[in-house]
Amino acid sequence: MDIKALIAQTSIEQRIEDAIKKSHAVQASLNAMVSFIDPKDQVEKLKHRSKDLPFYGVPVILKDLVNMKDTRTTGSSGILDNYISPYDATITQKLKEAGAIIIGKSSCDTFGMGGTNMTAWTGPVANPYDVSRMSGGSSGGSAVLVASGVVPMAIGTDTGDSIRKPASYNNIVGLKPTYGRISRYGVIPYASSLDHVGVFTRNVKDAALSLEVLAGRDDNDMTSSYNLVEKYSEKLIGDLSGKRIGIIQNVLDSFHNQDTLNQFNELVHKLKTRGAIITPIHLNEDLMHAFLPTYYIIANAEATANHANLDSLRFGVLKEGQTMDETMIQSRTEGFGKLLKKRFVIGSYALFTENQEEVFRKAQKVRRLIVDDIKRVLSEVDVIMAPASTQGAPKFDDASVDQLSSEYLIAENYMALANFSGYPSITVPMGYVEGLPVGVNLTAYAFEEMNLLDIAYGIENTTGLANCIKEVTQ
Amino acid sequence: MKEMDAQGLKALALQCRFELSDDEAQDIKNEFDVLISQMRLLEKIDTEHVEPMVYPFESASHFLREDVVENVLPIKEVLKNAPKQKNGFFVTQKVVG
Repeated sequence: MDIKALIAQTSIEQRIEDAIKKSHAVQASLNAMVSFIDPKDQVEKLKHRSKDLPFYGVPVILKDLVNMKDTRTTGSSGILDNYISPYDATITQKLKEAGAIIIGKSSCDTFGMGGTNMTAWTGPVANPYDVSRMSGGSSGGSAVLVASGVVPMAIGTDTGDSIRKPASYNNIVGLKPTYGRISRYGVIPYASSLDHVGVFTRNVKDAALSLEVLAGRDDNDMTSSYNLVEKYSEKLIGDLSGKRIGIIQNVLDSFHNQDTLNQFNELVHKLKTRGAIITPIHLNEDLMHAFLPTYYIIANAEATANHANLDSLRFGVLKEGQTMDETMIQSRTEGFGKLLKKRFVIGSYALFTENQEEVFRKAQKVRRLIVDDIKRVLSEVDVIMAPASTQGAPKFDDASVDQLSSEYLIAENYMALANFSGYPSITVPMGYVEGLPVGVNLTAYAFEEMNLLDIAYGIENTTGLANCIKEVTQ
Repeated sequence: MKEMDAQGLKALALQCRFELSDDEAQDIKNEFDVLISQMRLLEKIDTEHVEPMVYPFESASHFLREDVVENVLPIKEVLKNAPKQKNGFFVTQKVVG
């Protein structure tokens, strides 16, 4: 059922009660919630408002990076474990204005830094399809809460693929729109030149509706765009006839998992029969091998600078020393987990005076070449497409990855191309591999969300994988 | 590209104002070796005459507004998160003699 149908067929009380009950019921199995928000005041305020609001009384969840006044916002970190937001993020205000009821904050890799959701201060988040497997990250909590039927929409953020990879592992839709399409004011940053806000939903139409509500210029975020926000959900047709879809051949060539490839090839065949024009495209292979290190250098350097303000003097958990410097060092040492420390050390290395030109500036130059190459291929097609992951969600203890292999460097990490370029990108369910869901990812040119969503809608109609819910037994 | 040993990593961490235990430094050192190998993949890419890309879009979306105070959070609200406060100020140890 989509959000429109949910509003039409249930009462506010019923849908909020259901969501709250479910969010508590799945907590023992999934560990996806960081905090629960009492919705009473929000529901009361809604009683005096129009029932035509697009999210009228719809329960939603915020990733624990998003500020909402008078609620805990920890970034799934130790150092902000006691932080209470003094204001609303712009997206929080927009959701409230649209009638949404925010019922909680979801777990993520600390400050959005990671792809497993195993680094959250509150512990790993499990996958509803197999609780011995990871949710994916960094927006893993939001992903599994949508996948398990707790809420129809949850907010995520995406710096490398942190919405689109967990969407793949959880059989749901994950949309990362164009850079600047949704304001980031009030969202704890990771890396400012790569960070995007986006959504998880169970169908493309709800993703389109969510984008309508969340997008738009915000003077509090000077990187936000003035571009017109369209009525995306009303314009969806899903007609694939004549749509030009470029298959990223480099990604397929670096794949080892034949089952995933078979699923993908089967989908491509179906899209052809529906009139799509399929063209293999090739990105520069050397640049693709450089995606991950380029990402690591830029993201961690920016993160190190962004989080220099975590000193526990003005906010955060204080571990008092004899001097101010000692207090800062003790608070940061105890409040940062292992992953955060690693990321900041990498960032500091990239910004080290003697490395700035050779490492940091070099990465920024490579980024330009990567984006030029993406522009080149997107000048010939409407979207570029490839599987969103090589397989279903890995086991928590999976240590089999060769981090210098093409499969890892390209097939598992290529989706950062949409963060380097800022282009809109979406993952939708594709099928099942060994019983686990795997998604397909599409990326379009900047601000081409309408075309991107419409092709995604056509794919959803082809696979029939809309509105999948994996109930979790305790 | 400079190799880093565990002591060098500890020094980098301290510049960021946190400490690494011996175990943490060794773990990061092990991962750093892989990372340095990955970073070397950038070396074979010719970036001569290429400008660094700082943000995805280079068309300006910012502007200079009037110099008027706006969007101010009440001091009381902001100080709610302060571990120590007094008379509307954050309190910390003395930093000047």
